[in-house]
Amino acid sequence: MSTDGTIVALKIRKSFGPKTVLKDINLDIASGEICCIIGPSGSGKSTVLRCINGLETVDSGVLKVNGEDFGYYETDDAYHALPPKKLAEQRTRVGMVFQQFNLFPNMTANENIMSGPVLVKGQDKKQAIERAHELLASVGLAGFGDYYPAQLSGGQQQRVAIARSLAMDPEIMLFDEPTSALDPEKVGEVLAVMKELAKKGMTMVVVTHEMGFAREVADSLVFMDDGYIVERGDAREVLSNPKEPRTQAFLEQVL
Amino acid sequence: MNGMDPALKPRLRRRSTFEYVAWVVCTLVGLGILISVATNPNFKWEVVAKYFTHESILRGLMLTIFLTVASMALGTLLGLVLAIMRASSVKPIAAAAGVYITLFRGTPVLVQLIFWFNIAALYPNLTIGIPFTNIGTAVDVNALMGPITAALIGLTLNEAAYMAEIIRGGFSSVGKGQIEAADSLGMSGAMKMRKVIIPQAMPSIIPATGNQVIGMFKETSLVSVLGVAELLQSAQLIYARTYETIPLLIVASAWYLVMTLLLSYPQSKLEQKYSRTTSRLPRNAKPVVLTDPEGAAR
Repeated sequence: MSTDGTIVALKIRKSFGPKTVLKDINLDIASGEICCIIGPSGSGKSTVLRCINGLETVDSGVLKVNGEDFGYYETDDAYHALPPKKLAEQRTRVGMVFQQFNLFPNMTANENIMSGPVLVKGQDKKQAIERAHELLASVGLAGFGDYYPAQLSGGQQQRVAIARSLAMDPEIMLFDEPTSALDPEKVGEVLAVMKELAKKGMTMVVVTHEMGFAREVADSLVFMDDGYIVERGDAREVLSNPKEPRTQAFLEQVL
Repeated sequence: MNGMDPALKPRLRRRSTFEYVAWVVCTLVGLGILISVATNPNFKWEVVAKYFTHESILRGLMLTIFLTVASMALGTLLGLVLAIMRASSVKPIAAAAGVYITLFRGTPVLVQLIFWFNIAALYPNLTIGIPFTNIGTAVDVNALMGPITAALIGLTLNEAAYMAEIIRGGFSSVGKGQIEAADSLGMSGAMKMRKVIIPQAMPSIIPATGNQVIGMFKETSLVSVLGVAELLQSAQLIYARTYETIPLLIVASAWYLVMTLLLSYPQSKLEQKYSRTTSRLPRNAKPVVLTDPEGAAR
């Protein structure tokens, strides 16, 4: 497996029934880039993320993740869906962190973190648990391995969820509004973990409303509205000096 | 007045006139029924007592218990298969399970039981073997389909349809996010089912299954029409000889009641255990020890 960490999207379209949520998405994310996606709700930000992870399939356009066509293989006249095994393999290289954490409530923190490596990759349990301890420590939760998600606060659960994704050693990490479901005082602890991660050169795509995080950490910022990418540029540049009137209007309301 | 501290005075519940009237009426009606039942000689309580532990009644009870356990076990297994088929993304598989469930839930069990008992009318000879070859043996369906076999098949196939719906309901109680999380880790369909969906669906499936067991225990009385000597049929066989119809029906009813009461205790315990509020934590969860500021800050 090559380490790549790039995402390329070309003219991506996606509809849910009669509603077209992604109209013409063009995106180029370099390896190690931290990209924040902002925009009003319903603009398609989450859908972009879910397409990159294969939770949704795109209707048309080119989507390359880690340098490979994602979920499909290309022939002269069509894209053909990959067999589930291949798709699963591609997915293991893209980590996803959800707004609602989605930890498995029937497993402890350790078991959650080990679920990917042991159940999917068939890794040795002893090795996996050692790794789980390391990962828990890296998200500031050393010693919490035996607790069940229901015993942890929202912020702690989200950090376990991040560790669970990291356990698969993905090249890319996707964050879908990772702090939106948290109590305000727990937001910081999750953002701190994400900042640490950003320093390590992981490609990160973050859908967020945390403009402070975007300003401080992101390399690039994407503003989406109504299924289009309206503006894209250097994060600090866009935040302080937006060019498009729609970006200006949105930032005026949230800042 | 009497100097009692107002803060310590008990607060009394208000009883409405309706409550007093209800007490009186219900007590009178209840007593009336009791006296009538106890004094009416036609109930023949001594006959009830005599047959309550009669050998053939107990044998019938055993058969009823066997039918309940066997058809529940097999029905649950088949129901699980049907539920997994129903949830399949492969259309014909899902549709096949759907048709099965519709057919077996949409027709009376009694009819199904009689149908299986008479299946030989449709297929007098069953050949088990390799298709398009001469290898195999022919089986006389009439000989194979005895009353107990027909009863077991009928109850099992019917129960499977109901269990399939219960299990499917359990599956759909597992949040979409859980499935997405499993997908994003690259879990295969079977792995997802075993490690994520089924464990989380259990809290809603188990209490419902307990209810089915209680229902099945009483439902087995239907197989008496096939001449299976279960509890009801055993009672019927006796009163056919002695004409003590009511006392023997009381014997059978008493056993059904005793068994359902015995089953309803573990059932209520199961329901408590798997109720929404307590099911969040597995039984063996370690209590949280608040040692560090991180843990304490929740």
